[in-house]
Amino acid sequence: MLGNALRILLRMVLTFFVIVTLVFFATRLSGSPLDFVFGEGMSVEDRAIMIRYYQLDRPIWDQYLAFLGAFVDGHFGLSFIERRPVAEMVAERLWPSAQLLISATAATLLVAIPLGIIAAVWRKSWIGSAVMALAFLGYAVPNFVLAVFLVLVFAFWLNWLPVVGNGTPAHFIMPTLTLAAAMIAAIMRFTRNAMLDVLGQDYMRTARAKGLPESAVILKHGLRNAGITILSVVGLQVAALAASGSVVVESIFAWPGIGDLLVNAAIRRDYPVLQFAVLTVALAVILINAAVDLAYAWADPRLRHSSRT
Amino acid sequence: MKRLLLATALTAILPGAVFATEVTVAAANVAPYLDPGRDHSNVGSQFYFNTFDPLIHKDYTKADMQAQPGLATEWTMVEPTVMELKLREGVVFQNGEAMTADDVVFSLNRMFQATFPPYQVRMRDRLANFDRAEKIDDLTVRVHVKREEPLFETLLNLQQTFIVPEDYIKGLTGDPKVAEDADYEAFSLAPVGTGPYAITEFVPGEKIVYERFDGFWGEKAPLDRATVLHVGEVASRLTALRTGEAQIATNIAPDQLAMIEGDATLKVEGAVTPLFHVMIMNMNHPKLKDARIRQALSLAIDRDLLNEALWLGKAVVPASHTMEEFGPLYMPELKTFEYNPEKAKALLAEAGYDGFEVTFDTQGSYYTNGLLAAQAITEMWAAVGVKASIRDLPKWSGNDPEMMTRNWSNPMYFSDPFGSFGVMWAPNGPSEAEGRFNTDAEYAEIWDRFRFSKDVEVRRTAYAELMDRIAANPPVLPLYRPYEAWAMSQTVTWAPKAGHIPYVLDFRAGSISVAAAN
Amino acid sequence: MTTVPTVTPPWLHSLWSEAHWVQKTALVLGLTLTVAAVLAPAIAPFEPNAQSLIARLRPPLGFESASAGHLLGTDELGRDLLARCLHGLRLTLTLAVLGASLGLLIGGILGVLAGVAGGRTDAVITAAVDTQIAVPFTLVALFMLSVFGTSMVVMVLVLGFAGWEQYARILRGEVKRLMQLPFIEAARAAGASPWRIARVHVLPNVVSPVVVQFTLSLSNIILLESTLSFLGLGVQPPTATLGAMVGVGRDYMPTAPWIVLAPALLILAVTFSVQILGDWLRDRADVRLRVR
Repeated sequence: MLGNALRILLRMVLTFFVIVTLVFFATRLSGSPLDFVFGEGMSVEDRAIMIRYYQLDRPIWDQYLAFLGAFVDGHFGLSFIERRPVAEMVAERLWPSAQLLISATAATLLVAIPLGIIAAVWRKSWIGSAVMALAFLGYAVPNFVLAVFLVLVFAFWLNWLPVVGNGTPAHFIMPTLTLAAAMIAAIMRFTRNAMLDVLGQDYMRTARAKGLPESAVILKHGLRNAGITILSVVGLQVAALAASGSVVVESIFAWPGIGDLLVNAAIRRDYPVLQFAVLTVALAVILINAAVDLAYAWADPRLRHSSRT
Repeated sequence: MKRLLLATALTAILPGAVFATEVTVAAANVAPYLDPGRDHSNVGSQFYFNTFDPLIHKDYTKADMQAQPGLATEWTMVEPTVMELKLREGVVFQNGEAMTADDVVFSLNRMFQATFPPYQVRMRDRLANFDRAEKIDDLTVRVHVKREEPLFETLLNLQQTFIVPEDYIKGLTGDPKVAEDADYEAFSLAPVGTGPYAITEFVPGEKIVYERFDGFWGEKAPLDRATVLHVGEVASRLTALRTGEAQIATNIAPDQLAMIEGDATLKVEGAVTPLFHVMIMNMNHPKLKDARIRQALSLAIDRDLLNEALWLGKAVVPASHTMEEFGPLYMPELKTFEYNPEKAKALLAEAGYDGFEVTFDTQGSYYTNGLLAAQAITEMWAAVGVKASIRDLPKWSGNDPEMMTRNWSNPMYFSDPFGSFGVMWAPNGPSEAEGRFNTDAEYAEIWDRFRFSKDVEVRRTAYAELMDRIAANPPVLPLYRPYEAWAMSQTVTWAPKAGHIPYVLDFRAGSISVAAAN
Repeated sequence: MTTVPTVTPPWLHSLWSEAHWVQKTALVLGLTLTVAAVLAPAIAPFEPNAQSLIARLRPPLGFESASAGHLLGTDELGRDLLARCLHGLRLTLTLAVLGASLGLLIGGILGVLAGVAGGRTDAVITAAVDTQIAVPFTLVALFMLSVFGTSMVVMVLVLGFAGWEQYARILRGEVKRLMQLPFIEAARAAGASPWRIARVHVLPNVVSPVVVQFTLSLSNIILLESTLSFLGLGVQPPTATLGAMVGVGRDYMPTAPWIVLAPALLILAVTFSVQILGDWLRDRADVRLRVR
């Protein structure tokens, strides 16, 4: 167990380092912030001044070393545009994003797993198909279409729900619904398939043969075994959502989240912000993955003493 | 306004007073920093007027420059190149410091003799003729220019010359006796001015909160508090008006106005903005060197049709690079640009156009209707036989030698052709510096007469000559002055004023009032 | 874990008779959409990019102020919506299939390689997968589009890149599982090369999860493309894809909803049939379920 945890930790650090390096060089390859930040009508002279001011005239290896140095001294620099510490900018947005992530994940699990089991158990009847079809609706529509649709119906016409920001619990309803809609279908589908795998196994037959009621068989044996697969899929989905899933929702609901920050920083080539925001997101994803790995190893006795498959 | 069931708690941010007047603005964009000195963006220009004052105000209900006392009460030219200004007594900054001649000198010289790089950029493009400001006594300052300045008052009304507090800025970081670059950067996150509203909360890109400043020297602000929130999506902005989360929504394109037409509790205030959306052409692109090709591209664009279709006829199509706001230099009689597809075809044939592809760059929908206009324009070019395609880039490409044509805007930074055409198309100005526009000695000579003559007629003649030069060898076509609309609750009385630069949200006395919400 | 899953291609007629109405609907829908996409240039009533600025935002036939000949109405530049939908469908399906195949190709090779070879190769590939998962995809897309420009080829590359790590991860896990099974261990003991093991013993057994992932990728890519359009990073205008039409049209949802509804319904239809058919195939392919 300890060796496993160590290995996971080492992998995390390595991944993190690779990302740090990739992001640093990739951003610099993709264009100068001057074209994005100042844009119009800067003379050659002005450009030179600003390049010096932002210290972009230093050799790229110097910049890279300085950037790595930030991991030691904690100074990750100032945004090119806002001119305030990037750590502050990211911190401001971390909690709203996390809130949304948590509420969307909770909503997804509450809906997707029961529906997935229903779809598996009744897969031969119309119920199973209908449940699946319904879930696809949420998944198959681009989430901004769904979001705008919700806004028009529940805020514009019915006037039941607010649209701007994250001020009250009511503000969470539409963004949560939008984000969950896309995840529900995926999780449900994997739940169904994992359950189907399990339902065909010998030990299920044994359990039935022992005369246990069908619902107990499914919930006790089926879900426990399918849980391992479901867990890893949930982990992936949550990680994907943490990485980039919510920018659209943040934009429509004026949610002060990190996706919006990230995309804007990327479009404007605000390197310091971009680097730090990516690092934060990457760290979150790596942590989520590691947690899933550990849970996975814990849940699957076969893996407890061998390396992870 | 009244029906929102679940979010009434949101409005509980009301301060104790029952009749507090408040307004929340849902804005398409909120500035990433607030410093009137370095900013000249269309986003930032919305926010400065409530918090800062210039030395010389103007009548903001009038399009042209009619000077009025600001932080200076009177001013005279004591020499051809020196203006002496008497400062208003008893002015205090929102942080409680009294405004002195030192603050004024500091504010002006930080721009005139800029050391902070972002200020240097602004210094060069519009304040280059200013030499320095000096203190004569506690209530008197003198401003020196290098050459006689016909636009003295206009330039002292500029956003870039708004007055800021010296001691406060210097004390923000490091040595409190020295203005370091870091001080200016800190200031742009916590701005302080002499205007009727103090900025009490600023989250860059997201939120600005103004609160009435009771120490304001003039008529007190009509609102207790105004909050500006970033709401990027237009449907969300309009919806926020219906839910009562906002009372004003900015940047509503004409196509979207239909959404709230049926709602008697909402209304629209719009105006033609003092700014041109333009199409620029790279004179130095190998394929566009022949002026006839560029003339043809310009002649092929039916700007009236663009206006009818995309702006529902609410925009204004100019015959030249001129607008009413230029006052005595408004010259509608100039016919610099026209639509003539037949002539375009003839010119193309004459120039031996061989079917090469012309690219049109656009930065998505950075400009209202920008992407639509780009597609319509390329179709119009196709109609005269020009093969055209769009490059939708997330960035400015005006300095890219590969750039052939693209959209841009020429805002009016102050009420004079120098404040619009002048800033953009001066000899060695930004367009030439970016390598897509060339000038010669003759152009420079005409320019000089236009820029510095004290005789309006001489300036008019010179401007007409400049326009002839532009028509003969075109680097630009002004498409139209866009119509910008703000949607708002019927309880709010507000409208854009003709005398402001584009997009200013003026909440000063006489500019806005709010009826008690029902 | 002792049964050996195998795949036998199911017969079409028995497929049809076993199918539920949902699956039958999906099949018919999928075929119709494919035919429509293939024939788009022939059956579209107008050129997809031909504008008519005086007839913008006209509603579908049957509504007030509809414009004659435009069955689904016109868009924000007066282009025929039906024509754009058909051409958009065609291009969207092409992008999705190419993108998903590219993802499968990259991810498949790397995943199988990692699973079969193990050791250092496995470690490197796994690290790459972990890295890709942790980097926001919009960033990868932005980077590729800004470095390589926004051509159709780059778009396919971007979309293909979007899912490779999923294939790699799934295949690696599946291959590792299979490698421990007795019949493969036997083959290994008999001296079969890793390549032969992969080809003969492993590949046929990983079809089921790959099919599921492929169908997911198809839909994901269509949605991803629309998200890129939402962010202003999609295909270059005036080219029509379903995603771009929805992404650009969203501002018109309150005032001219047909502009968004038509392509959104098409996306829905494509995703629906792909998903249902994918699940169906998977169920059919799974021997354990058929035994029971």
